[in-house]
Amino acid sequence: MRMLRLPAALAALALAATACAGADGGDGGPGSGYPRGETLYTTGTAWSAPTSWNPMMRGGFAVGTIGLVYESLFHYDPETGEYVHWLAESDEWVSDTVHEITLREGVTWNDGEPLVAQDVVTTLELGQTDGVPYGNVWDYIENVEATDERTVTVTFSESRPQEWMNWAYSNPILPAHVWGDMSATDITDSANENPVGTGPYVYESHTDDRMIWERNDEWWATDALDMTMDARYIVDIVNASNDVTMGMLTQGEVDLSNNFLPGIDQLLNSNENIVSFYEGPPYMKSANTAWLVPNHNRAPLDDTAFRQALAHSINITEIVEGPYANLVQPANPTGLLPEWDAYIDHELVSEEGFSHDAAEAVAILEEAGYMDEDGDGFVETPDGEPIALTLEVPSGWTDWMEAARLIEQHAQDVGINITAEFPDQGLLDQNRNAGEYDLVINNARQLSNSPWTYYDYLFQLPIQDEQTTVNFHRYENEEAWQLTEELARVPAGDVEAAAEVTSQLQEIFLAELPVIPLWYNGQWSQANNTHWTNWPSEAEGTPNSAAVMWEGWYEMGGINTLAEIEPVG
Amino acid sequence: MWRYIGRKLFIYLLTFIVAVTINWMIPRFMPGDPVRNMLSRAAINDPEAMASMTAYYEDLFGLDEPLYQQYLNFWVSLFQGDLGISVMRYPEPVTDVIMGSVPYTLGLLLPAILLSWIVGNRFGAFAARSKALDNTVLPVGYVLTATPYMWIALLLSYTLGIVAGIFPTAGGFSYSLRPEFSWVFIYDLISHWFLPFLSMFLVALGGWAIGMRNMIIYELEADYSNYLQALGAPRRLIRRYAFRNAMLPQITGLAVQLGTIIAGSLLTEVVFNYPGLGTLILDSLENRDFFLLQGILLFVVIGVLIANFIIDIIYVLVDPRTRVQMTGGSS
Amino acid sequence: MTDVAGAPGTTDRADAPEPAGERRGSEALHFARRNPKLLIGSGIVLAFMLLGFIGPFFLSDNPNEYVGPQTQPPNGEYWFGTTTFGQDIWAQFVYGVRSTFVIGLFGGGVAFLIGMTVGFVAGYKGGIVDDILNMLTNVVLVLPAMVVLIVAIAYLDVRGLFTQGMFIGLSAWPWAARAVRSQTLSLATRDYVDLARLSGRRTWRIITTEVAPNMSSYLVMSFILLFGGAVLTAAGLDFIGLGPSNGVSLGAMLQSAVNWSALQLGMWWWFVPPGLGITAIVGALYVLNVGLDEVFNPKLREL
Repeated sequence: MRMLRLPAALAALALAATACAGADGGDGGPGSGYPRGETLYTTGTAWSAPTSWNPMMRGGFAVGTIGLVYESLFHYDPETGEYVHWLAESDEWVSDTVHEITLREGVTWNDGEPLVAQDVVTTLELGQTDGVPYGNVWDYIENVEATDERTVTVTFSESRPQEWMNWAYSNPILPAHVWGDMSATDITDSANENPVGTGPYVYESHTDDRMIWERNDEWWATDALDMTMDARYIVDIVNASNDVTMGMLTQGEVDLSNNFLPGIDQLLNSNENIVSFYEGPPYMKSANTAWLVPNHNRAPLDDTAFRQALAHSINITEIVEGPYANLVQPANPTGLLPEWDAYIDHELVSEEGFSHDAAEAVAILEEAGYMDEDGDGFVETPDGEPIALTLEVPSGWTDWMEAARLIEQHAQDVGINITAEFPDQGLLDQNRNAGEYDLVINNARQLSNSPWTYYDYLFQLPIQDEQTTVNFHRYENEEAWQLTEELARVPAGDVEAAAEVTSQLQEIFLAELPVIPLWYNGQWSQANNTHWTNWPSEAEGTPNSAAVMWEGWYEMGGINTLAEIEPVG
Repeated sequence: MWRYIGRKLFIYLLTFIVAVTINWMIPRFMPGDPVRNMLSRAAINDPEAMASMTAYYEDLFGLDEPLYQQYLNFWVSLFQGDLGISVMRYPEPVTDVIMGSVPYTLGLLLPAILLSWIVGNRFGAFAARSKALDNTVLPVGYVLTATPYMWIALLLSYTLGIVAGIFPTAGGFSYSLRPEFSWVFIYDLISHWFLPFLSMFLVALGGWAIGMRNMIIYELEADYSNYLQALGAPRRLIRRYAFRNAMLPQITGLAVQLGTIIAGSLLTEVVFNYPGLGTLILDSLENRDFFLLQGILLFVVIGVLIANFIIDIIYVLVDPRTRVQMTGGSS
Repeated sequence: MTDVAGAPGTTDRADAPEPAGERRGSEALHFARRNPKLLIGSGIVLAFMLLGFIGPFFLSDNPNEYVGPQTQPPNGEYWFGTTTFGQDIWAQFVYGVRSTFVIGLFGGGVAFLIGMTVGFVAGYKGGIVDDILNMLTNVVLVLPAMVVLIVAIAYLDVRGLFTQGMFIGLSAWPWAARAVRSQTLSLATRDYVDLARLSGRRTWRIITTEVAPNMSSYLVMSFILLFGGAVLTAAGLDFIGLGPSNGVSLGAMLQSAVNWSALQLGMWWWFVPPGLGITAIVGALYVLNVGLDEVFNPKLREL
């Protein structure tokens, strides 16, 4: 028996050592854990340890920095298509080129200072610093001025209301008394460890695998908009693997998951506690469009007929029913999201839209001279050059990898030689930006206030050596870009005028197919009812807002969802 | 005895040099242009991280310098404790990131190795004693030792974790707790630790039990046993001698099996998302964080060498014949 | 996973078995036929081997194809059920068994060749050659093979069965070399070897005609263990995603089952068969190995 005492002691020692290490990693804080009834556990927003709270570092800051801490002048409600006054109490277009915004009274920064018009002015002026992500507002803003304590007047050199309103709801206002005298490098590079914002939450602590926000009890909207945040803490867990996340969700360790979880449909059907927006397929609302993006600098992808044939070859239904198990919907041939239905020219789509038709794909290929002369089962170019294309999606993106395998198969069925490859995401992004690829799948544009953002992605000119955010396909069409610019100038909220422009854009799009719309990626949002209820759903009496906490979605309903959910018991 | 230890130390030093050299060689002699590849593959959006990585590599690879100079530089930076900056957790140094994970891996490995060794030897010795026991322990032992670590982990995670709901199946401790010295936290820590521990314990157990059983049977057939038996010594006594003698190869076996068990712990951690080195390896693979990956390799090698050395010392203490054996030349 | 030295029947025994030569033939066969371990072990291994090498001819070329309804538990049509996408798990399993044998034969074979060469040369030549080779063996033996493999393979852009087998072979040979060396040491001093040496035959001929045949049982057993070790190592590498790109293997099946939350969704038929396959093959090999040991080593036949 003596022998057993030693290992037991060793085990205890090892555990103690583990505990010590764990303790080192923590950031202190109150003595006990977070009370379950007051803590909301979320995941699906962060891909790595939080290291920055600087809203100027787009893609680098802890998600929630904009939205939970820093707030914008407006919010946008994609359900109604309307702008919601947020830090702005009211606004008025004095003329086509003058926008007068009045701030709410009684809004304070979480360091106690009041929100003033100068804050807005400073925020916009920061755009003139190199490296600030919204520098392009100064392409069309002439002047911004604090006309009194709470009124800001923005004068435009060129009226672009759609673009301006997009800025106004997706960019946060920063405190002038903090950011006003910061050095240029600090503005863009500092970690901003103690963010001073106006929003409902403040920074509490963080570790490598989680970000913890604590409620700001002084939040202005509690009185002004009658919104209460029942969650005193929000613990946002850095994304783990799909299976781990699913395990935590079923066990109630996570309340809201904002990731694509394969097989979640089975869980939604079998587990009473797990809910999503819709009861049945597609379970979630749509968030963005996934396109097959061809590189227009590479033959034969620069040939419209070839792209048309490719589009006809793809059996989207099989992708939607296979890897996605109906969690997504096939995209409209224009690729415009369902929320933008009013902008879709349905008559045009029924005439010019493509659909899966292998015979048609073969016919298009033959007509354009793509034949299989050497009998290898794959077509060659009209000049007789063999065609061998690769379709790249990031390694580890399991749903896209399966989709890519299917597209490979569909294309090969009509004689187009495509091979799916799965490089590392960083490498893929880099090659995509530099135009070093044949085909990729991309979904870089989210739902927004205006299809202008969608067409800006598709048609933006001029093409740079590095295309980092838009037009990865390097498609050049001056007319389409002019129309896109025209769309930016349509007054905010004038859907009819905008639809007229988008109809012309769709005509070009469907004829040329610069990219091939595949499916709508969902607003991945699955919640567990055990600790928090009243999640948005299609049912009566529940909120309608978006239950996703991704960057950019707090301003499109995320904050409302947080205010609506209720603790159990 | 000192000669023995000295000789072993020499081997370990050599192994360390070889490991460092391999570490240095891998990125240089793999096909393609690894430096460029590495830099373009690293998933970094942060230009500062990119710049520091480029600088580090340029410094390290010193591409216009002759190879031997590059090799020397590599050693110099190693002795300065500089393993580079983690790309994945920029700007944390690789050493810090690894040190955060080492306790978890040790906390799994040490108890799993020691307990499985002790219990396995006991079982094996029992098994060699009776036919009935032998017929059960042996097949179970073979099945356990042939089981891939990750599979037994998956089975335990599914049965005890997901279906029965007794143990948590992922992570080092709950997200609802902050690390601290309280019973709640320690209990939580242990419940997260248990399943990964059990997986490793079970697989290793089979190997030790079989090894011990076979050794004892060899010993019982050895000349000295027959001689003792002929002299009429009690069976108990003979078995005790056999057990003692069989222990020695089992101690050596511990050193030999170390690599296998470490590999097993890495895979087990991956299944349970346990925050040790295994999960760190997987993360760094996914993020193409090669500094971190290579740093982990060095850490594991150092750990293995230290463990080997400790086992050697124990061996010397337990077996006075070591000296004799060493002159025999069959190390 | 590669150092199988502690595995059954391979402990470095000080007492070298009698040269097998005299005993080969009818006596061994007599005991072989009566050894249940040998019969059961080889039966299972043969069954899997047949399945792996003949099975694919009765199945479609692409086991990853979506052929059936999704998420079906085992039934008459899909014996092992289907995956989330409707892939036939039985088909994947059969192809996986095949690649298991391929990697075992190839990886184990490479390790065996290196181990044998190093062992023979060190044991037969002795002196400084022995010292150097022995040191090399000890160094590679101490290196944690799996971690070295992970780092090395991570740098590769394209991974195939060949590279995987090669790398596994390169890291798994040391204990076999050690075992072969100690056997060779004891055989090298025998009269008939001395005789051969005096007659002026080349070293290689002596090793292949006089030394190796007299320890053939030992060599066979070493190969079997290297085979098992290679299978386990490959499964581990496949599981963390370092397997051959676009291949089908039992380890890769486990990985995709985990990636697609088979555990959380209760799809046990997705992750049980691949692990069971590996365990059965490797376990049977070990049992077979002990059986062989008992047949060739009469001391173990008792009990």
